[in-house]
Amino acid sequence: MVLTNKFRVFASVLALTVSLTAISACSSGNNGGSNSNAPATNDSGAATEEAKDTITALLPPVSANYQSNFDQMEADFNALYPNLTLQIEPASWEDITQKLDTQVNAGSPPDIAFIGSDGISKYVEQGMLMDITMAAIPEMIGDFDPVPLNYMKNGSGLYGFPAYMSIHALGGNKQFLEEAGIDWKSVQKNGWTYEEFREAIKKGVVSSGGTTSRYGFVFATSGVTAKDYLNILIKNAGMPAAFDKDLKYAYTSQNYLGVLKAVRELIDDGSMPKELSSVDAGKRWNMFLTGQTMITGKGLATFENSAKTNNKKIEAGDGAVEGSVPVNYVVLPVPTFGADPVASAAVDGYVTFRGKKEPTEEHKVNVAKAAYYLASGKIAATTNTELLVEQITDSGRTAAESLDVERDPDNAAASQRLQSIASPARPDIPAELGAEAIKLEDEVIIPKFQALLADEITPEDMFKVLKEAAVKAFGEDGVVTD
Amino acid sequence: MMAQLARTVKKRIISGDGGAWAYAFIAVALVVFALFTAYPVINAFIISFQEYKPLGSTYAGFDNYVHSFDDELFWKSIKNTIVYTLLTVPVSLVLSFGVAILILPLKKKLQTTFKAVYYLPAVASGVALSVVWLWIFDPLQTGILNQLLAFFGIGNLNWLGTSATSMFSLVLMAWLSSHGTSIIIYLAALIGIDNSYYEAAELDGASFSQKLRHIVIPFMKPTTLFLLVTGVIGSFQVFQNAYLMTGGGPDNATTMVGLLIFNNAFKYFEFGEASAQALILTLIIAIISFIQFKFLGNDVEY
Repeated sequence: MVLTNKFRVFASVLALTVSLTAISACSSGNNGGSNSNAPATNDSGAATEEAKDTITALLPPVSANYQSNFDQMEADFNALYPNLTLQIEPASWEDITQKLDTQVNAGSPPDIAFIGSDGISKYVEQGMLMDITMAAIPEMIGDFDPVPLNYMKNGSGLYGFPAYMSIHALGGNKQFLEEAGIDWKSVQKNGWTYEEFREAIKKGVVSSGGTTSRYGFVFATSGVTAKDYLNILIKNAGMPAAFDKDLKYAYTSQNYLGVLKAVRELIDDGSMPKELSSVDAGKRWNMFLTGQTMITGKGLATFENSAKTNNKKIEAGDGAVEGSVPVNYVVLPVPTFGADPVASAAVDGYVTFRGKKEPTEEHKVNVAKAAYYLASGKIAATTNTELLVEQITDSGRTAAESLDVERDPDNAAASQRLQSIASPARPDIPAELGAEAIKLEDEVIIPKFQALLADEITPEDMFKVLKEAAVKAFGEDGVVTD
Repeated sequence: MMAQLARTVKKRIISGDGGAWAYAFIAVALVVFALFTAYPVINAFIISFQEYKPLGSTYAGFDNYVHSFDDELFWKSIKNTIVYTLLTVPVSLVLSFGVAILILPLKKKLQTTFKAVYYLPAVASGVALSVVWLWIFDPLQTGILNQLLAFFGIGNLNWLGTSATSMFSLVLMAWLSSHGTSIIIYLAALIGIDNSYYEAAELDGASFSQKLRHIVIPFMKPTTLFLLVTGVIGSFQVFQNAYLMTGGGPDNATTMVGLLIFNNAFKYFEFGEASAQALILTLIIAIISFIQFKFLGNDVEY
């Protein structure tokens, strides 16, 4: 084949361009974030002293209007601290973990990322979190309620500030609860035992000709959501954390077996669907809105809003969930298993990261300022009001006074009660033990729990497998025996 | 030897017979291969002997390999992957071949239409397909597949929620989708068979099945071997279906080795162990491919 000179030159330029593009695409990840088009990383902070500093934040759509305020948030922060720039990179809930993990493992994470506090131990293990204990001034620390703030600690380190504490409760359909003769107001105030709950949900079942049209209780348990179901139950069975105060693994207690038996009983009673292991979060919410269950879980405060929105759509005949019925959402506590009630809490917040280079003290202070700015005051007030969760900072409470909250007073009171009994954080659990417990949960508890839900294993067998795995992981002396 | 090669290259460059241009063009593919294939593989090999940490990895010797071989879940995932491969690849080949045979006699426009229809799932997003399949596998009485069973008087099944049916559900999903590429490749091979063979067979009074057995299938051998080898490789690397449909559950009944490697790397940040397992998987695939070529590729010429 004969090539003309023009074509040869063109083809060579093209080939060279493609090669250089490939090389430059690969090498741009290590420039420490100096590229003006890419979010700067915290490596850049090490190079500046008393100069302008850029703090980067990777933030998901925490509430409905959260991301639309990013420009204003950046401008307000800059007005507050003229020498600092807050650079926010938006992310969706679907890809934030992947984005963050990629950046973390490349050694160039953002300075701040919005994640669940349960992820802190994983990143501490990696050595990629920035301890802001010394950078956070007492006024910042004092602004937060102690319980959610402790969730941001690991060992003696403080790795960011909490945004909110969301209580994992149950949600009931007021009409169905009343039809079943359940005094839901009393339950909201006084709680209920497992036996009372079991009898109550039996009354909520509606079936005819062997077909159940309404269950008493449906909880999302498909895949990893199984973890939520088990966790909110065991917290109310005297095991608020995976380790007791002596740092012995707690889930080898006989109380744990009691919870596993209860899980099967509720399905075998017919109060919960036998297909529960395949019910995901979307499905169970659909079942709740379409009147296929009296109680659902997990229930978040914001569900009251979602139900109200759907009710309005039904009324307007426009865009409501297909087959849905008007629902008055009732916040309900999780039943107790012979122990004090403990509300399962999920604390999400602004976690502080470090890059490959050791950050300067000044940069740490600046990152702490940015994390505090995002987690308190007006931003916290607006976001938490939208989410219908309690404010956890004094500054947030003050700022929220001027905001209108459309909230059912009974639900608000029930939420506050649950907030007051939220399970405390356990920063005393060493990161290695925490990581080992998470792995045990992922590799043994969740798979076996899925099998239990599918009726493929007995509670006793699952407990035996868990006990053996726990002893293997923590030793005979490292687990609770009762 | 090397000196002679260098002299030849130099001579070609100087004489301007196109050699230099050829190297420039090869460089593109070579650079891309080096960056996106060779470098990651070499790096994975190095990491497999390390406890990986972004701020500084430590040498771990053969720990990651030993731990993988001691891990029951690793062997379970290998077993699941083999079962999945055995159930999907042969059926996929038969189905693709059958559909290609059915499409072959059609007019060109109709052929193209069918090719496009069968290829559509390959273009569609895997996530979107999974959402549709999750809808089909709805475990309650209202689920599409369960309604079909109810028509025959069979009670509803918890398709993805029990160990007994979850693997079959993923296999069913594979059976009923993603044959587009194989169908197009088979069709291209079928079109490539010279008509004179069929004409000669017809003169001899050969039936359809005889033509299929003595002409089509022998001619399809290289294509079948290619699709078998790539199908097995693809099946051993399967990840998306299990990740999106079952998450590997219940009780790890659908945890494939690809999903296990992903979890170890991106969920637990155990890149060393994940790399070790990925290299073990590479070795397994290489051995299987070698066996396939050895026993099925003897009389195949490309």
